[in-house]
Amino acid sequence: MPILYKSITAVLALTGCISLLITGEMNLLVCTGGLSIFGGYYRFFRDRPQASKRVAAILAQAALFVFIADASVITGDVFLAVAHMTITFQGIKSFDLKEPWDHLQVYFMSLLQLIIASELTRALTFGVIFVIFMVLLVTAMVLSHFLKEGTLGRVRIRRPVTAIVMLTVLCTAIFFMALPRTPQRFIGKSHIRGIKTVGFSDKVDFGSFGDIKLDQTVVMRIEMDQEVSSPHYWRGIAMDSFDGVSWRNTAREKSRLLKTGDEFVIAPYDRTRVVEQRIYLEPIDSDVIFGLAKMTAVNVDTFSLLVDDASGITMPGKLSRRIKYTVRSDMAGILTGRSEKRYLQVPRGVENIIGLAKSVTGGSSSDLQRAFAIEAYLKRNFAYSLATVPPPVGMSVLENFLFRTKTGFCEHYASSMVIMLRGLGIPSRVVNGFYGGERNEYGNYLIVRQSDAHAWVEALIGNEWKRFDPTPAVAAQKPPALSHFLDSLRLQWTRYVVGFSSEDQKEIVRTLASPFTLKGLPKLRFSSFRTVLFWSLALGFVSLLLYAVMKKLRFRRYSFVTRTYLEFRALLRKKGLKVTDAMTAGDLLRVSRKGGFGIEAEEFLNLYESHRFGSREMTDHVRQRYKALLKKLGTGKRAEDI
Amino acid sequence: MQNTFIKQLQTAVESVIRGKSEAVAMAIVTLLGRGNLLIEDVPGVGKTTLAYALAKATDCAFQRIQFTSDMMPSDIIGVSIFNPESREFEFKPGPVFANIVLADEINRTSPRTQSALLEAMNERKITMDRRTLVLPDPFMVIATQNPVEYHGTFPLPESQLDRFMMQIRLGYPDPEHEKRAVAGLSGFALIEKLAPVVTKADILKMQEAADAVAVEDTVMDYLMKIIIATRSDDRIRLGSSTRGAQFLLRAAKAHAYYTGRDFIVPDDIKRLAPSVLGHRLILKTRRGIFDAEDVVRDMVESIPVPV
Repeated sequence: MPILYKSITAVLALTGCISLLITGEMNLLVCTGGLSIFGGYYRFFRDRPQASKRVAAILAQAALFVFIADASVITGDVFLAVAHMTITFQGIKSFDLKEPWDHLQVYFMSLLQLIIASELTRALTFGVIFVIFMVLLVTAMVLSHFLKEGTLGRVRIRRPVTAIVMLTVLCTAIFFMALPRTPQRFIGKSHIRGIKTVGFSDKVDFGSFGDIKLDQTVVMRIEMDQEVSSPHYWRGIAMDSFDGVSWRNTAREKSRLLKTGDEFVIAPYDRTRVVEQRIYLEPIDSDVIFGLAKMTAVNVDTFSLLVDDASGITMPGKLSRRIKYTVRSDMAGILTGRSEKRYLQVPRGVENIIGLAKSVTGGSSSDLQRAFAIEAYLKRNFAYSLATVPPPVGMSVLENFLFRTKTGFCEHYASSMVIMLRGLGIPSRVVNGFYGGERNEYGNYLIVRQSDAHAWVEALIGNEWKRFDPTPAVAAQKPPALSHFLDSLRLQWTRYVVGFSSEDQKEIVRTLASPFTLKGLPKLRFSSFRTVLFWSLALGFVSLLLYAVMKKLRFRRYSFVTRTYLEFRALLRKKGLKVTDAMTAGDLLRVSRKGGFGIEAEEFLNLYESHRFGSREMTDHVRQRYKALLKKLGTGKRAEDI
Repeated sequence: MQNTFIKQLQTAVESVIRGKSEAVAMAIVTLLGRGNLLIEDVPGVGKTTLAYALAKATDCAFQRIQFTSDMMPSDIIGVSIFNPESREFEFKPGPVFANIVLADEINRTSPRTQSALLEAMNERKITMDRRTLVLPDPFMVIATQNPVEYHGTFPLPESQLDRFMMQIRLGYPDPEHEKRAVAGLSGFALIEKLAPVVTKADILKMQEAADAVAVEDTVMDYLMKIIIATRSDDRIRLGSSTRGAQFLLRAAKAHAYYTGRDFIVPDDIKRLAPSVLGHRLILKTRRGIFDAEDVVRDMVESIPVPV
């Protein structure tokens, strides 16, 4: 068995296992059996004797028992248990590689592992692994075919293998682009777990932001159709009620948004005045739609959208998958509202805070000025720090922040400001969302991380909700350029592979058909004669290309010796002699005598037999003679003339 | 190129039995492949002459056993006789202790005696009185049977037929050769004049060389395809056994060596398949062995040859 074939099998087995391991969902304890894969392949490369079928069967049964225990008790998830079992099986199989059939089993197992992994991850790494896997699998299949034929090592296979791999990749790409997109998943419920965030649910416990601010995980990537001056406040949802420990929404009257065409319209807007943001949201286990205020329309692939009375847009259910949506925001638009009791609610025991508010806003004459004064006071006199100490007994968190430590993070600032405003009779609320984001120069988009989670304040001045941000600015850390480059790749991956939608398919068709359609035609009409013509031509061209390549490959399958022999056979046919596939070289000699071929045919066939079946290499000299004989047989000249 | 020994052997045997070069070649191939030969033909066409000439041309010990219905196994193997002087049983070896044994009209004797010979043929040794005696090397049985006279014969069962590497027939010589044979010296007179051209040692060496002939993988696949096809052909009730496949490979190797090659080509297999496989098959129509040969010949014409 050639070393190349061995290595490919080993790498494929490893690829399958690695694809599962990178998902981070594997219970490593259950998979430890898979470690034997290294021992197995070491022995395999060393040509040590393979395990007997009985031993393999016993081990496989043991693995099945582990699987049952795994599915019922250890992880309690059949899907994951299957994944664990495949890893164990790869380990077992590595000791049992006798026949080509065993290798095939390894390939199928790897394929299964990749399918499972595709359910568990959407990482770019997986995409890379998948491409590697595909190339290797095709190579392995071709090799095993040659191995079965017994022509491996005697036929030059580098070119056919490369060609087949290229073709496969091409066909896969075409299929990928052409397959109809369905929102349904192939294997029931998706196993991708979202990033656990807080702050985007109905209730936010105090202090939970602190953990998030340390997390560098990317939450969103945002492409915008025009430059917007910073700062960017990616508005999420607003909270109105504070009990000293947590913020919550008390009255979330949600109304359904109307869908016009592809998008849900929140407010009528002028297409030329809105900023369009294409947002790729990682799975964050939340139903909130983020965007710059004021959002006027959202284009997202769901059945319905809900809007609450604080202009928070939410989807009907939490999604634990990546989504992509487009928000159109009118930057000059204002959030209107009217005062309600819940925007003036304060918890008990905040008299000191209200006192503080009064002293801070002593010199102000209007609500707007008062709000600015509080904002400025908090910004100037307080320090930003994620390291907070719990308050002493009998003291509330906010009092501790305002009068004792004077250090805190956005939550403290926003909460304090809202309570102070409410103490002064100004309706206000805390808004949770994200702030800023770093620009990625490679893909020209913004990266928003968990650490960009932010809370700020909206206060009702007149009938307009105005935004205030009392939190002092913190210098952001700049990640190295390389990580930006990788991240831009990830965005492309998300955008064009994971999130490849029927929309994109239409786009591709449109682009392809553009030479045949008038520019600016809004929709491709399949009824039009030109498109039909174009597609049939394109299809014809592709099939022609395929046919040519396949034909070439079929011919390439044979070595020079056989090819030349087949040419001779064709020559006899042309002479009108009956030649079948069941004829040996000896039969051909008898037939060729009938056709008037003499001594050259005998020499030619002898050369063929001894080099095809006698495992001799053909020297260049013999090669020329061989060719010349055929040529002479074709032209009918005498042998001595050569 | 063909080995000179083989060429000389062929020439020597053909000088006795003229116009039968194909049959002679098959006999030599069987000898090289360490097999046994079954010749089925009517009396008087030279079956015995061929066997005898082959033995004479190779300086091999030759024994002829004329089978009759009243023969006993001991008539073939030998018998232990009490020697009153040494007061011991002494083994008197039978006619089977030779290099080339002609078993004439093997179907005339009882199955018991037949099987005594066939076991010796297969095992290359004989067990008597708890003693094992090894038969000489090279060892080849050429058995003949007469297809016409079915009266009072015991046809060989398939399991016994399976032990012969090949079955051939001689047929009548063509008129030209026949005329010369009738007018000239008789076969036996010619054989008496025959001088050995190869030694036993040469034959053993050639047998080893034939064993070492290379078999390319695709050719092996072709052979197996033929064997498997005999089992699924709808004209055949019983296909070839695995032993049949082994014999076909050995015969093909020997044939390759006979023609002077050290590797097998598909042609070797295709040419030998009818005579190596024919007598092993049972046709559904229950006709003669040579019909089976025709079936095989027809069958291989539909099996693609590796190129």
